[in-house]
Amino acid sequence: MSLEILITPEANNGKRISISGSLDSNTAPELQQSIDAEINDSVSTTILDFKDLDFLSSAGLRVIFKTKKLMNNSGGKFLLVNLQPQIKKVFEIIKALDGMNVFKDQDEMDEYLTAMQNKVKDGE
Amino acid sequence: MNNQQQNKQVLTLQSTISDAGKLAEFLADYVKKFKIAEEIYNDLRLVAEETFVNIASYAYTGQAQQTVTIELSSTADKISITFTDAGIAFNPLTDAAECKESDDHCEGGMGIHLITSLSDHQEYSRDGQSNVFMLSKHLY
Repeated sequence: MSLEILITPEANNGKRISISGSLDSNTAPELQQSIDAEINDSVSTTILDFKDLDFLSSAGLRVIFKTKKLMNNSGGKFLLVNLQPQIKKVFEIIKALDGMNVFKDQDEMDEYLTAMQNKVKDGE
Repeated sequence: MNNQQQNKQVLTLQSTISDAGKLAEFLADYVKKFKIAEEIYNDLRLVAEETFVNIASYAYTGQAQQTVTIELSSTADKISITFTDAGIAFNPLTDAAECKESDDHCEGGMGIHLITSLSDHQEYSRDGQSNVFMLSKHLY
């Protein structure tokens, strides 16, 4: 059971981490390594895209929580998008959805990001 | 044919986290063979991974590579997974890593919470020098 990780740039110093396959005890260290290499204080928004992820265990959750903490500490945003039903169920069981910015699809996330950007512009 | 556990299949793995993938494949083959619903498979796969990783991480602390035997069995209304190992007395539900609070989530307890939430019954026993941990889930 393998994990594919693709990290691409997003607008305004953001990064999208697209994960496919299985995020489990064996593959979680790979994701952590990729995040350690790519996500730092200069990244304003980290998007974790679950579109092609079909399995998530507690090992994967630990990496996700650590990344959330990293982004919180640097004042950045951490967004989750495209969770498959079985993945969302895992978050629901451990009651982790409330503390996360979770979007059901790209359109919903785009609306949110646009609203945030407009807020910043209005405040200028 | 009685209603006792049927369709038994057994797999023996090394007590190493890297063997968790073989457990997932074993489970996938079993559910395909006995036509078990995908949603049940998804839950079982997670329960099996969390249990196996706990055992592999803690039951054989300090010992050389040992094995864990996993037995799958099912009836018309229930599937069961039984883990047997010869490590120190270890109950995956109570003896896993201590809870480390991190952002309001008990990291050590997440696996246990997933196991108890996604299975219907869990039972641990110590049989001589072996740990026997059984999980079951209704198929309806």
